[in-house]
Amino acid sequence: MKRITGIFVAAVMIIGIMVVGGCGGGGAKPQEQAAKKETVKVGVILPLTGSEAMFGAMEKNSMEMAYEELKAAGKTTVGGKEIELKFEDDQSKQDAAKAAAEKLINQDKVAMLSGGYSSANTNVIAGTAQSKGIPFLIVTGSADEITKQGWQWIFRGTAAPASKYTGALWDLMDKVIKPKSVALIYENTDFGTSSAKGFRKVCQDKGINIVFDQAYEKGAIDFKPMLANMKKTNPDVVFAVSYVMDASLITKQMKELDFNTKLFIGGAAGYTMPEFKENAGDASEYVASTTLWIPNVAWKGAADYFKKYKEKYGKEPDYHGAQAYATMYIIADALGRAKDFTPEGIRQALKSTDLMTIMGPIKFEDWEGYTNQDKPTTYVVQWQKGKLEVVWPEEAASAKLVFPVPNWKERK
Amino acid sequence: MTAKGWLTPTVIAVVALVLPLILRDPYPQHILIMILIWATLGTAWNLLGGYAGQVSFGHAAFFGLGAYSAGLLFFHLKISTWWGLLLGPLVATAVAVPIGLICFRLRGPYFALATLALGEIFRLVFTNWVSFTRGAQGILILSTFPTKVPYYYIALAIWGLAMFTLNRLINSKLGYYFVSIREDQDAAESLGIPTTRYKMYALLPSAFLAGLTGAFYMNYIAFIDPHVVFSLGDISVMVILVVMMGGVANPWGAPVGAAIYIALNEIFRAWLGSANVLAFGILVCLVILFLPNGVMGELGQIRRTAFRQKPAAAGGGQK
Amino acid sequence: MSLFGQTVICGILLGGMYALIAIGMTLIMGVMKIINLAHGALVMVGMYITYVCYKSWGLDPYLGMLIAMPALFLIGCLIQKYMINRLVEVDSILPENQVLLTVGIMLVLTEVARLIFKSDYRSVTTGYSSSTFFVGDMSISVPMTVGFFIAMAFTYLLHLFLTRTDLGRSIRATAQDRNAAVYMGVNAPRVTVITFGIGSALAAAGGSLLLPLFYLWPDIGHLFTAKAFIITILGGMGSTMGAIFGGLTLGIAESLGATYISMGYKDVVGLVIFLFVLLFIPGGFKSLTKR
Repeated sequence: MKRITGIFVAAVMIIGIMVVGGCGGGGAKPQEQAAKKETVKVGVILPLTGSEAMFGAMEKNSMEMAYEELKAAGKTTVGGKEIELKFEDDQSKQDAAKAAAEKLINQDKVAMLSGGYSSANTNVIAGTAQSKGIPFLIVTGSADEITKQGWQWIFRGTAAPASKYTGALWDLMDKVIKPKSVALIYENTDFGTSSAKGFRKVCQDKGINIVFDQAYEKGAIDFKPMLANMKKTNPDVVFAVSYVMDASLITKQMKELDFNTKLFIGGAAGYTMPEFKENAGDASEYVASTTLWIPNVAWKGAADYFKKYKEKYGKEPDYHGAQAYATMYIIADALGRAKDFTPEGIRQALKSTDLMTIMGPIKFEDWEGYTNQDKPTTYVVQWQKGKLEVVWPEEAASAKLVFPVPNWKERK
Repeated sequence: MTAKGWLTPTVIAVVALVLPLILRDPYPQHILIMILIWATLGTAWNLLGGYAGQVSFGHAAFFGLGAYSAGLLFFHLKISTWWGLLLGPLVATAVAVPIGLICFRLRGPYFALATLALGEIFRLVFTNWVSFTRGAQGILILSTFPTKVPYYYIALAIWGLAMFTLNRLINSKLGYYFVSIREDQDAAESLGIPTTRYKMYALLPSAFLAGLTGAFYMNYIAFIDPHVVFSLGDISVMVILVVMMGGVANPWGAPVGAAIYIALNEIFRAWLGSANVLAFGILVCLVILFLPNGVMGELGQIRRTAFRQKPAAAGGGQK
Repeated sequence: MSLFGQTVICGILLGGMYALIAIGMTLIMGVMKIINLAHGALVMVGMYITYVCYKSWGLDPYLGMLIAMPALFLIGCLIQKYMINRLVEVDSILPENQVLLTVGIMLVLTEVARLIFKSDYRSVTTGYSSSTFFVGDMSISVPMTVGFFIAMAFTYLLHLFLTRTDLGRSIRATAQDRNAAVYMGVNAPRVTVITFGIGSALAAAGGSLLLPLFYLWPDIGHLFTAKAFIITILGGMGSTMGAIFGGLTLGIAESLGATYISMGYKDVVGLVIFLFVLLFIPGGFKSLTKR
């Protein structure tokens, strides 16, 4: 009995592995049929299923849209080869991200990697890419430390480090707002904790009094206890780093509590998405936020991208989609300039990127401890009459900042 | 053990040792290593749950403690995370003592829920105690080895240790005690068996092995955060699923379950697009409905009763 | 002082709605002694049905709930009859098989919802979604209050059902001692099927009440399952009054935890109370009141 058991087990394990390995090999066949031309493969790891699938889908669609545009312009043929995007699903989970990275690098033999939505998954992919010496161009993952390790193979262009989202905001704070007290709330995720850390440090450096500082678990139903507590401390300004649904609930419940501040500022992510306005309704009015991009930003092609995406997919894209779109352009540009398609060749081409995209100029530089990190262009936006307007910096502004914002009761 | 008894383990051992040299592509190697990780974790759980009948819904606590022991050595003391392989299991075992003393007062579903709550408490504490653990930002290190092969052998050694421990324990008197506690704790008590003590004897090695697996995980995946390593759904519940699918109370239950889970999960992920988790869910339902004792458990329909009456020896001898 | 009042009121209102969700689970656990990890997924399905009613026919969630409830009753009955009941008959080493089956069911329900609705967040914004009224300094949300009272009404109705009707008494009998109930002529398998159905229907009701307040996405189930467990244990398995007590306790504890400790640790408060009750008052509230 034991013998049968043992042999059975061994057989199951071996068959299982062969199937997986074989499947990978089997996967090669469709490629041979599809591409008569030789291809340069770019592996893109995104959350196509799982809790983050909404963003994964948006980014995939944006990249494909950009790819079509580039193809029409003849830019997808580089050095006699055709760029080919190969998407892999990381299921919004780390282990799957690692498996996807391993598969793309070893099985599909991609020339470079891209993608990376959540910071946790981006961490894992970056670690894998760095140890294998394959270039990885990050689309969204924002945790500071990913580009603070001195890892030469990791590039981050369209995404800013979490603590740097507030560049334009601090300019505005210094020049206009000059708060005496701030309240800080943030979600308990990598992005939230990183952003809060950065914000807290700058406040401390500038001697601004932080009267309330709390993390919360995302997905809560009732924020009123926390908000009521915050209301007591009477902050001039509230800075919140939240995911879109928490953002809607927080602002709605602040209205319900009649909790007034001079300005409510979101730390990117949730407060700029169209879903925020839909769900928060008129509580979203006058809410400001830091952001890397909005549809009516001044860069060429931004408004066209927004319109085209909305027509094609029936949904409004936000900065995540713009990031993916711009990243596709960066990839095509770098591959076009690469002297060869070895990892080193692509790495050098990426390093020397100097490209204007719908997110602004992209250059990979080493600064403040970051490696291969683009210096982000950030904005402060504010919802006015149901539209997101750029209010800072003044050169890029499409409307004037409303500050201090009117109390809830004073609004109609 | 008879000569026959040695044959299969040897065959498997040889195959396992040689596999990475046959399959040289790192992608299948990654799959193998994940299988080994889950097989070890499953074996650890099986000891407490399958044999001693104490179904823990919080094994992620031990796994996470092991992973964080390794990670925090690096984060706070800049010591290599490999030392976590020593520290992790010890921390997990140490924490298991009060957990056991608290939870073993409870039976059945109450025990399960208590362990579930504890696992979640650990997760929340590690997420919120940012100064100590870096919270949700996690701990990121660079992999020590550029190829997977050393990781494979280490994982294999860890799994071997787990199997060996399991084998020794269940073939000893302890094994009989475990099963008697599982089958009828009151009867065991009435026979004078100090059930709490023996449940601890099952829990401590279980926690030790889970912690060891966690520490290895830190070294291999090179990034952890509380949301992943203390996860209720992805670790605690999944390990139960894995062992139940493979077969509880059977030494090969965990490895078989792990192989099924990892290999199929990856196949579904790569080939079924958005339906991959759905396919897995359907599979779970089918396996449990039609093979209620898991693959290994149903292998011998006749043997099922024998498995229950004859503990430990796992079907050896007769036939 | 009003901060305290605000906190407690929020806690009570929300707790009442949690309780309705938990009642389903406590019934199921009481009768069948299984841990139903798919409970949250059932809530989610109920919420999606209500959402669809709202989106397609403009039905207010409080009305849509009346459609979701029978639908979930049916689904619950089917699940119990064709899946879980099969396992009860089978001899297995560890009875926890049933739990794992509910995990499988949970995965299937969640993923089917994801396939149909994608992972997007959906919400229902009605005219009264944000209405509040003020009692002194304390802001009280209208949908929360309405939800609370409806939840209490359902609970009372359930209580009447369980104590005054034959079927209700059969359910309680099966919960107390399955074998004895069978000897008394109760059709246990049928009772379990109906119980699961009722439990699911109540879960759907609880979820629908939360719809104007919160939002909806396929993974929302996990949140509710966790809360339902805590409440079930706090209240004692199978006890409706216990579930109310448990729900209110959890709601207030979380609120107080959020205000006076920190929002990040609020769930820890609930879990610690849960453990405490598990260890020291294993029968929950129900056992305390029986003395």
